[in-house]
Amino acid sequence: MPLFGELFISELLKKSVLDPKGDDLGSVKDFVVVKGDPLPWVSAIILEKKKDFYFLGWNNISIFNKRIISANVYALQLKQYEFSEDDLLIVRDILDKQIVDANGAKVVRVNDVRLEGINSHASLTAVDVGMRGILRRLGIERRGEALYNIFGKTISHNLIPWNYIQPLEPRLSTISLTVPRQMLSALHPADIAEIISKISHEEGAALMEGLDPNVAAEALHEMEPETKKAIIQSFDKDFASDVVERMPPDEAADLLGDLPDEKAKELLESIEKDEAQDIQELLGHEEDSAGGLMTNEFIAYTPQLSVKDAIEKFKINAPGVETVYYIYITDENERLIGVISLKDMLLASPDVPLSEIMEIKLKTVTPDTDQEEVAEIISKYNLLAIPVVDDKGVLLGIVTIDDIIDIFLPPLSKKKRRRV
Amino acid sequence: MTRWRKILLFLSVIGPGIITANIDNDAGGITTYSVAGARFGYALLWTLIPTTIALIVIQEMVARMGVVTGKGLSDLIREHYGVRATFFMMIVLLIANFGTTIANFAGWAASMEIFGISKYIMVPSGAFLVWLLVTKGSYRMVERVLLVACLIYLGYIFSGVMSGPDWGAIVKNTFVPTIKWEPEFIMLTIAIVGTTITPWMQFYLQSSIAEKGVKKEDYKISKFDVVVGCLITDIIAFFIIITCATTLFPHGIRINEAQEAALALRPFAGQYASILFAVSLANASILGAIVVPLSTAYYICEAMGWEAGVNKSFKEAPQFMWIYTALIVVSALLVLIPGAPLVLLMILSSLLNGILLPFVLIFALSLVNNKRIMGKYINSKGYNYIAWGTVVILISLTTALLVMSVAPFKKP
Repeated sequence: MPLFGELFISELLKKSVLDPKGDDLGSVKDFVVVKGDPLPWVSAIILEKKKDFYFLGWNNISIFNKRIISANVYALQLKQYEFSEDDLLIVRDILDKQIVDANGAKVVRVNDVRLEGINSHASLTAVDVGMRGILRRLGIERRGEALYNIFGKTISHNLIPWNYIQPLEPRLSTISLTVPRQMLSALHPADIAEIISKISHEEGAALMEGLDPNVAAEALHEMEPETKKAIIQSFDKDFASDVVERMPPDEAADLLGDLPDEKAKELLESIEKDEAQDIQELLGHEEDSAGGLMTNEFIAYTPQLSVKDAIEKFKINAPGVETVYYIYITDENERLIGVISLKDMLLASPDVPLSEIMEIKLKTVTPDTDQEEVAEIISKYNLLAIPVVDDKGVLLGIVTIDDIIDIFLPPLSKKKRRRV
Repeated sequence: MTRWRKILLFLSVIGPGIITANIDNDAGGITTYSVAGARFGYALLWTLIPTTIALIVIQEMVARMGVVTGKGLSDLIREHYGVRATFFMMIVLLIANFGTTIANFAGWAASMEIFGISKYIMVPSGAFLVWLLVTKGSYRMVERVLLVACLIYLGYIFSGVMSGPDWGAIVKNTFVPTIKWEPEFIMLTIAIVGTTITPWMQFYLQSSIAEKGVKKEDYKISKFDVVVGCLITDIIAFFIIITCATTLFPHGIRINEAQEAALALRPFAGQYASILFAVSLANASILGAIVVPLSTAYYICEAMGWEAGVNKSFKEAPQFMWIYTALIVVSALLVLIPGAPLVLLMILSSLLNGILLPFVLIFALSLVNNKRIMGKYINSKGYNYIAWGTVVILISLTTALLVMSVAPFKKP
């Protein structure tokens, strides 16, 4: 039977449904929703009577509104209903569940669901995620409004149209998004990290698996180590290795170091060989030493190279390297002999060899230098990165200033944790 | 290396259980144990054994839910029992925890006065410190502070040993139950159980385990964490009772407050035992003052779907910031206002906690047995008998406590 206008689920729940004679068939327990055009619609009402559940198809409903719901069948004609995972039910699967509101980088809850009559069907048009929905569920929408009015305020309507909502999993059992996944990828990684931190790790993993691996890697960077670890373990194996490959080696090493041995091994085996080797080298160092902090992505050229050639080479090498502001000069044994800042290199005349413009008074640390000391040196000499060399002077990697900042000043999203 | 890894894995999972357990011994708990020891000596020690068992049974289930679902208890209740049940539960929890926060600030004020520092200086600065730590500090810092603070609880063990107890009598009283049919004895028995198993710590434990992201495979370690935490809680309680029982009980000194215990200890157990007792009380109080308001604000906002986060502004997360700030400011102010009805508020709070506990436990039990949520991790049949048995006993005890606290026979 047609529905005119709109109404909310909370106004119908527990309402008694009448048969043609006006006798009680049971009270409204839930609604079965099926895919419809343009929006999903109610295909049946589940009634509860004396602890049994009955199925009342939409065709058997003659009046459907806020005040009265009646059927054109009698109690004996109703079929018993068994709750099944295959049905999508409004109360069980949608109401009170979380929704990721990607526009505000927030996680909200479905407080109510709005139905609207479209082409003789009761279509699901919107979910209410606002205060109004809560008050309506509590049956005090009017009184709440009056109270707000006393303070000269109004309660805003906070509805999200259903067509913006995308189920995260085929069945809308856990959580859904208010934007298509592609749009989620466009959010700032820090916002994604914040959203993930508010939902369970499995849901978080499911959400991130739909993202571009590059974005996922950046979002992971913004998370607290524990969340990061839990999420990566919940990822599908291929996606996990895709993401780890896209992380800077030092970060990947930190992450793998936190994982259980077998898991780390499995991941290392599945990612590209070069990357895996880089990570493996870093894994050997203590976490809070220069060796544990360093990355082995850096720019290093030979002293004989001319400035012009170096700049050409730089354009090829730089895209894959995180910190490019220093060009390190190494000899044939990979020993560090000098450094040139990017600025100096760009400003130098093109034909001189690098050896002529390089700075040879170098500040270096060894892999076991403590992180505090590394920080002191970086701060004292205003460096953007500091090279790490072994006892023979071979350049192993660099510690960048952003890694140091992360130690002393965790990124904002990492502070936003609860559990205190 | 693999051995180190194992230890690391172990350390990364461990924590929530132990921290929860320690915070459980807040100002209110310490008061109850002190009063019990001073009033009845070693006679109530045996109650700690059944209490520990009940605590382990309940917390194990809650921890299991945290691991399996990755969600907090308030989230699960909201998702499965709807807005109405959640809303009323959260209101009661808010008021009850308001009382708990007052108790903690009062404990802080009292312990500072033992050292001769005015509460008019220490309560505002304590409140400011708590606010500062939470809003400006990083999570790591807070966790470190909490873990160090947990160590300070060891102070009670030292003061217990220093008091020179009669170990023979202790062993006997711990394993052989004594029951005196006096209202005060029964009331204290129930109060010990009630102060040890509280509603809000179930919310706290499940959230912190969910937050840690413990894997199902590592659940064994979490279980260990929970069991050890429960044991620690009651070992601390054990030593508080012993301290007061050994020193105050023989001299017939009755106390009503934990800080009285610290003062009364001086002539009998020496200055150091007294100082240790007071420092531990200060620590427990401030720890409670950090955790209770913050966690309350979080559970409420998450259950209701409101924005939450400590570094949000009042505009971004109004409900969260108001609840959090109001809990701290109002509690601290009430402690400072002379003649404010603190005792009444604290009794009200324990009443509300008593009313809330049965609901929390029943919700928790039906959630943990829900196959849609827990899959194969639901309770086994045998375990359910134990769990329901525990819940029924706890509910009847708290009902008894409720009746008794309204009934005429009050504490002397």
